[in-house]
Amino acid sequence: MIPPIFPEAIALIVKLLFLLGLVIYAVFAAVIVRQEHLMADVLEEGFEPILRIFTYIHLALAIFMIFLGFILL
Amino acid sequence: MPTIFDSSTSTPAPAKSKKTAKLSASLLSKGKNHMGPLTFFAVNPDGVRFETQEEEEKVILFLRQHIIVNFPWVVVAVVAVFAPTVLFPLLLRLIPPSVVVPSGYIVVGALFWYVATFGFVLGNFLSWFFNIYIVTNQRLVDIDFQYLLYKNFAEAELVKIQDISFTSGGVFAALFNYGTVNIQTAGEAPNFEFNSVPYPERVVETIRSLIGQAGSNP
Repeated sequence: MIPPIFPEAIALIVKLLFLLGLVIYAVFAAVIVRQEHLMADVLEEGFEPILRIFTYIHLALAIFMIFLGFILL
Repeated sequence: MPTIFDSSTSTPAPAKSKKTAKLSASLLSKGKNHMGPLTFFAVNPDGVRFETQEEEEKVILFLRQHIIVNFPWVVVAVVAVFAPTVLFPLLLRLIPPSVVVPSGYIVVGALFWYVATFGFVLGNFLSWFFNIYIVTNQRLVDIDFQYLLYKNFAEAELVKIQDISFTSGGVFAALFNYGTVNIQTAGEAPNFEFNSVPYPERVVETIRSLIGQAGSNP
């Protein structure tokens, strides 16, 4: 009989890869926020504050996904 | 001895065509135009300022790429929004019945898909929104953000512009009247390309009239 260690190891690797992916995505979301700030320095425009809110919402969602991943996976 | 060179007659004042003069007058007399989030062509835009803009400098023309260039990624985003309802069941059907996918992975995977779709839309919109071309009464400014990571700021004074032309090709460009304006400048200044800008002929006319003004008022 094959011991169940192998499926568990795979599950652990998949979980770690999932969490790593979520962390990398959160870094990408933070880069978008930073870039939006830089872009806004270059161009002052009326719609820019709304865009900034969207970038922060996106970053918040990306961080929330990491917590959700830790809890559910 | 015959006169070979006479400086008094070799530099005649630039003769403005009626059309150019009319356009110059209309540009100066026009009131401010309100800028919306999706504005891609604005003459005398209201509330626009850019980095390095000087006090007496006035933005005459504000351009982005024609909004229709966003069509491909919008289609991808719409497909991505509806994909989980179609794609996920198909993918789950491919997994052998002996393998049970924990519900946590399905929930996190589906939610992450929507967050990533949101990020895709946001990234593409920001790239379009902040890729701008500005024509002021003194110079041309080209601000590019590529892949959200690389910033390119180029400018050329109007008096250094030597040649302007535009090209427009393709079904979409013909339908929606957009094209690429090519601007050649003197010296080491880089040549400019205003890619996929709307009404390229109006852009060329406007820049030409401003060059005339800049030449007559150095």
